[in-house]
Amino acid sequence: MKMTPTLIIIGGAAIFAVVLLIVVILPWTTISEEPSEIFRPRTEIEQRGRVLYVKNGCTYCHTQFVRNIDWGLGAERIARSGDYIEDQPHLLGTERTGPDLSQEGGEHPDDWHLAHFVNPRYVRPESIMPSWGFLGIDNIRALIAYKQSLGFTMADYRVARQKHWKQKSIEAYEAGPDDNVKWLHERVPEPWRQLPNPYPTTAAGLQRGQRIYQGFCIGCHGPIGDGMGPAQPYLYPPPLNFTVLRDRGVSGGIFYYQIMNGITGTAMPYFKRELESEKIWDVGNYVAVTFIGQSDAGRPPRGIPAAYETQPEVRE
Amino acid sequence: MKLFKDEPYGTTKLFFLSSAVWFVIGTLAGFIDATHLAAPELLGDIPWIVFGRIRPMHTNLVIFGFVGSALLGTAHYLVPTLVHTPLYSERLGKASLWIWNVAVIAGTATLSMAYSQGREYAEWIWPVDMAVLTALAMMFYNLLQTVVRRKEKILYVSTWYVFGGLVFTFFIYFFGNAVWNPGTGAITGMPDAILAWFYGHGVVGLFLTPLAVASAYYIIPIVSRSPLYSHTLSLVGFWTILMIYTHIGTHHLLQTPAPTWLKVIAISGSLGMLIPVATVLVNLWLTMRGRLGYLHADIGGKFIFAGLVWYLLTCIQGPLQSLPVVQRVTHLNNWVIAHAHLGVLGFSGTIALGSMYFILPRITGHSLYSRRLADVQYWLVLIGMAGFFTVLTAAGLIQGNGWLNGEVVYRLLPQIHVYMLLRVSIGILIVGAACIGLYNIVMTLRGERSVTETP
Repeated sequence: MKMTPTLIIIGGAAIFAVVLLIVVILPWTTISEEPSEIFRPRTEIEQRGRVLYVKNGCTYCHTQFVRNIDWGLGAERIARSGDYIEDQPHLLGTERTGPDLSQEGGEHPDDWHLAHFVNPRYVRPESIMPSWGFLGIDNIRALIAYKQSLGFTMADYRVARQKHWKQKSIEAYEAGPDDNVKWLHERVPEPWRQLPNPYPTTAAGLQRGQRIYQGFCIGCHGPIGDGMGPAQPYLYPPPLNFTVLRDRGVSGGIFYYQIMNGITGTAMPYFKRELESEKIWDVGNYVAVTFIGQSDAGRPPRGIPAAYETQPEVRE
Repeated sequence: MKLFKDEPYGTTKLFFLSSAVWFVIGTLAGFIDATHLAAPELLGDIPWIVFGRIRPMHTNLVIFGFVGSALLGTAHYLVPTLVHTPLYSERLGKASLWIWNVAVIAGTATLSMAYSQGREYAEWIWPVDMAVLTALAMMFYNLLQTVVRRKEKILYVSTWYVFGGLVFTFFIYFFGNAVWNPGTGAITGMPDAILAWFYGHGVVGLFLTPLAVASAYYIIPIVSRSPLYSHTLSLVGFWTILMIYTHIGTHHLLQTPAPTWLKVIAISGSLGMLIPVATVLVNLWLTMRGRLGYLHADIGGKFIFAGLVWYLLTCIQGPLQSLPVVQRVTHLNNWVIAHAHLGVLGFSGTIALGSMYFILPRITGHSLYSRRLADVQYWLVLIGMAGFFTVLTAAGLIQGNGWLNGEVVYRLLPQIHVYMLLRVSIGILIVGAACIGLYNIVMTLRGERSVTETP
């Protein structure tokens, strides 16, 4: 084959044209433009937030598609082509330095997002996301609106639920500590309320609990558990001061349930995807022992002690 | 060296100087990126270097600024030399160089001010895209006019790759940036993801790869003092890379709702990449076999050889990680970042450096300012690259396996923290290598010679 400039240039351009036809034009014209069942158009402020998301490169750390192998945030909904019909540019992303955001809407109330944008470590102490306070409150409001729209109608259900319980939790908080704690406890199913922490307090367990507290709780509830962590000025109702739980009937089961399930409407997220059973019992007991000074850990009624337990008093 | 004046190889000299400058700035940007990931509060809240903005600044600076400039400079040396005809117009060449540099400067500055199109490697906004396309078209015209006026009738394989690369780069940049849509530089929905990765993969594979291969095809036979092993293998390698490399962008989207038939094409194409890679590497290996002594006696040859070894590793890893079963673990985490560094710093970046050190003495008429500094740079890049690869791959495996096992992203951050610290430390080696290279190249262009070295 004699290689001439004409052959190289015309040959190259011809190959390019054919490949472009096969791998770009063909899918472009054949992909169905049907919206998926959860799709809804974005509002103006949500669109403005999306533009900020594009301009500031949020897509380098956050994907917007959930795979069938995923756990964690958004895993209730596997991505479908019809979810993206209005996306220009696409924001599927290639890295998960932060979580996938395709179903982020309604996972947290707006005040949590505000604290998180001002400084992500206020609510997520081990986060490596940049602080975005310099964007100004208007832009952050737009970004929050965009995040709350991620997941379309599925997000709308969650956002409505957040708003409903936000109202209730504010009423309870404003009624004073007695009514607030009573209201909080009554949101926990009865069997959980009656359940003591089945595992006795140990020094090792308290240390594990402290480690979890520092990684997950300290931003809101603060280093001494008084609810005055760095996120506090942004949150309403404010994070709980644990000392108000003293002598108000808290149980290991209540701690476990609220850590596992969160308190929707408040900034308290659910941790069931992040913490396994032992970590939840340990951090609950750490709070009970350290900040309240009252723990029901290891008290009856309980079943056969777990095999690892060595406290003599549970040999009976 | 004059900024616009007509002088032999003036375009190449200025491209090399630009590359050396962009290497420093580009790796410094990468270093800041790495710092953010290890210590997000360390640099304070400076808007114009926040992670989401400096990350595209880094990738575009190293692709178009550092590696791109060096390889385009190399092309402006290779083509005239191979066809025994001076460059058609040094003035046109320098004009295209300045437009290219204005594009890199403007692209970087606008990204730091949050003007971004948000698609990887296509972030630069429309006016910058226009400058890039103009510069590419001018370079293409200039080199084409040189070849049309050629005294040597036979075109060597390096010339094919330069022209193939320029044609593909122009078109892929044009379509990939959706320049008919200046507002967003994108089309809509899943087709946009497909177009963006057709571009994102192609801009590295059809811009940097052919130009780097062109340089290796030119320099390896010269420094190993042996004719190229096979013309037929060159032909196979050239046409298959154009046919196969272009198909594979969708392997970035295997886990998204892209059409299955397109994923099948992408995976087959990715495996098919072994053909052009193997033919190029076998051809060059059989050319230099038994002559590695000659190769390593020349500082340019030494860099090129290292670059080809990285190319081999990249192109074994690439097809493997296009398999869905591998991507279950490797996708969306630092494994991919390791691969990207292997391709751009290890393969094309190292070849870009080798090309500059090989060509500079030939166009300035005197030897390098310091061979020893170039050697130091060689080892810094080699150790740094191996370090990046190890650390990022390890971090990626921790993330990928953790996610599969049901760990959430947040829980794994403390686990990869130590790797992020190591990455920052290794980054110091690379930034150091870039600074040494800039000093060496500036001093060489000024015609100086290190007093501590005897020829």
